[in-house]
Amino acid sequence: MPDRIKISVFGIVGSPLCVASSDGQEIYNRLNTALEANREVALSFHNVTALTSAFLNAAIGQLYGTFSEKKINSLLKVENIEQDDQDLLDRVVDNAKLYFENPERFNRVFQEVLEDEDDEV
Amino acid sequence: MRFHLPEIHRNPAGFDALAYLYAQTKELLFDDIEIDMKETHWFDADMCAAFGAILYSLEKRLNTVSLIQIPLSVKEILSKNGFLSRYGGVEIPDQWGTTISYQRFDKNDRYVARYVENEFMHRSEIPKMSPELLKKLSESISEIFVNAISHSRTRLGIFSCGQFFPTKERLDFTVADLGIGIRQNIKDCIELDLSAEKAIVWATEGNSTTRGGNVPGGLGLKLLGEFIDLNHGCIKIVSDAGYWQRENGEIFTALLNYRFPGTVVSVEINTADTSAYRLVSD
Repeated sequence: MPDRIKISVFGIVGSPLCVASSDGQEIYNRLNTALEANREVALSFHNVTALTSAFLNAAIGQLYGTFSEKKINSLLKVENIEQDDQDLLDRVVDNAKLYFENPERFNRVFQEVLEDEDDEV
Repeated sequence: MRFHLPEIHRNPAGFDALAYLYAQTKELLFDDIEIDMKETHWFDADMCAAFGAILYSLEKRLNTVSLIQIPLSVKEILSKNGFLSRYGGVEIPDQWGTTISYQRFDKNDRYVARYVENEFMHRSEIPKMSPELLKKLSESISEIFVNAISHSRTRLGIFSCGQFFPTKERLDFTVADLGIGIRQNIKDCIELDLSAEKAIVWATEGNSTTRGGNVPGGLGLKLLGEFIDLNHGCIKIVSDAGYWQRENGEIFTALLNYRFPGTVVSVEINTADTSAYRLVSD
């Protein structure tokens, strides 16, 4: 049994354009199984040329609703990712952590901002 | 009935004209609808996405739609991008390869990657763009499609059309859906009752998502706006009676006179841009 499971994003999606949330869900299903079994995973973005936030939200963002940040950091390693894709992933992860911290508040905060703008008019 | 269509520009008046067409025809069933285009001396090609969406909804109610008295210049544009062939016209070859053909997609986001590859990545005719811009362009176009598919809840599909302007070094691309619209989506999902323009502001800024459940969301339109600013392009969104525009970081909103029956996202991309794109974390 290998120490670390390797998952190729390109291999699963079958295209260098990883944009659909349904494809992201396929990645999530595999990551979820591995993390539930406390297995280390190397998630490779080799040959991936385009990513959307929708794909990454489904693939990785939703992990933060199931597992602790500590567990994700210790078991999931991302490999062969371009710097701008890493930047997008960082945004998605920050967004996901905020969302799962308190999903209701996540939306309410912005509602308050809009209401404040109205008051200023 | 006969409807007189004015010029259609990608601006509030153009969107309002199409929304008015919908308002005038939405109750019709088994009718003959003639769209008289005698006065349509200009038609922004990518607006075929929004126009086609409305005509599709008319045909869904078993109305017979015909486009009549089309000025020659407009007829040529709508023939080259394959729009007119759906309404009794013929498709004519696009000699310079500057059109991105009119398409209707079913609600399946797995087609998006192939479409973007075929229309944007693997076309020799498209303006020469830096690899960074081509990547950001394909991601942004995909983000618009996936966003429409995830949020619109439409059963009528997603409509798209575009046009390259080699000498102006610009690409216009529009995606339209006949879904519930941003305002209603926010109201249904998180019980926030906003005006139509505020609803678009809500969807394009900050940490906002109507997704709920296990998958976080709410970044797509915000990222798109950031890219457009860096690119010195422009993005326009119409949903319900709301109009929202972002150009050079400036946001303009307006209320249309009539409701568009869904959402339209339209981008103007500066294809001469050579920026290296880096997204700044919040």
